[in-house]
Amino acid sequence: MKLLTCPLNGQRNITEFTYGGEYHPMPDHQQATSREWAEHVFFHDNSAGVVIEWWCHSASSYWFLAERNTISDQILRTFPADEIFRERIDFNPTPADQGERK
Amino acid sequence: MLSTLATDALRRSQLYRRHMAMDATFTTLGDSVVVSHYASEDETKQAQHLGLADLSTLPRTGFKGLGTPDWALDLGIELPARPNRALLQSDGTLVARLSQSELLLASNLNGLSESIANATQAELAERVYSLPRSDSHSWLVLCGSQAAETLAKVCGVDLRPHKFADGEIAQTSIAKINGVIVRNDLGETLSYCIFSDSSSVEFLWDSLLDAMAEFEGAAVGIQALRDCR
Repeated sequence: MKLLTCPLNGQRNITEFTYGGEYHPMPDHQQATSREWAEHVFFHDNSAGVVIEWWCHSASSYWFLAERNTISDQILRTFPADEIFRERIDFNPTPADQGERK
Repeated sequence: MLSTLATDALRRSQLYRRHMAMDATFTTLGDSVVVSHYASEDETKQAQHLGLADLSTLPRTGFKGLGTPDWALDLGIELPARPNRALLQSDGTLVARLSQSELLLASNLNGLSESIANATQAELAERVYSLPRSDSHSWLVLCGSQAAETLAKVCGVDLRPHKFADGEIAQTSIAKINGVIVRNDLGETLSYCIFSDSSSVEFLWDSLLDAMAEFEGAAVGIQALRDCR
């Protein structure tokens, strides 16, 4: 049986988790071009080696991050998202955005 | 005297057809109608051995957000020290801390809760969000000396009493249904509250009764749970 350690709930059967995609640092949403934003949202590196991924513990709806080696499928560590996300990000539209919508 | 019907209250359990088919006698507690007992009037021994009760109509609610712990403390709610721990309040309300900043509140066995009433009426502070649980989640109680053995058949987490202390919480899969298990003993009787998605509670109820059959378990009403306290 494959096990994954949730930072909140501890070690659980992998079937309790949902994969949420690769983690990429978010570009500055005020400055990024549409191309950069589309790459951030839709494109994945799919690299061989150690990557950081989003995982969700379904029973508690708890999202966290995992460092995983995609070659050996070994999970090196899991950690709560607030290790990276320390500040709230508000997506306030810029005047330019509002102009675009008109 | 006219007997209480499952449909007398505004809210009825998703399991009420099951209860009626099992000859349940219902009772009114506050705004809720719950099963008092089934065919046998004295189910205390059954509950001490292995019983399953449906408390889905009793009040419960939740709150979430970074401001929640401080806001709850201001309301006089005593918080469990860490996530995945639960604490009984002086009014019998069960407060389960599901994460650092998420609380689930469930009423006492009389269907009353000052803590829930206060929290529901209070103004929400910044970064506190209401997370109602009455409609989204069912509430079952699995109790008795054989309860841990039964859960071992349907759940991967070790819930045996010497491994899973009173007040511990496991958010996990039970018979393939996601749920929150809170150990909340009734006096000397081992007891687990199970909160799970209400849309699949009929399946969970049937699965648990099926798992209990091996240990001679049966459905019990709220009267038996109260007698165990």
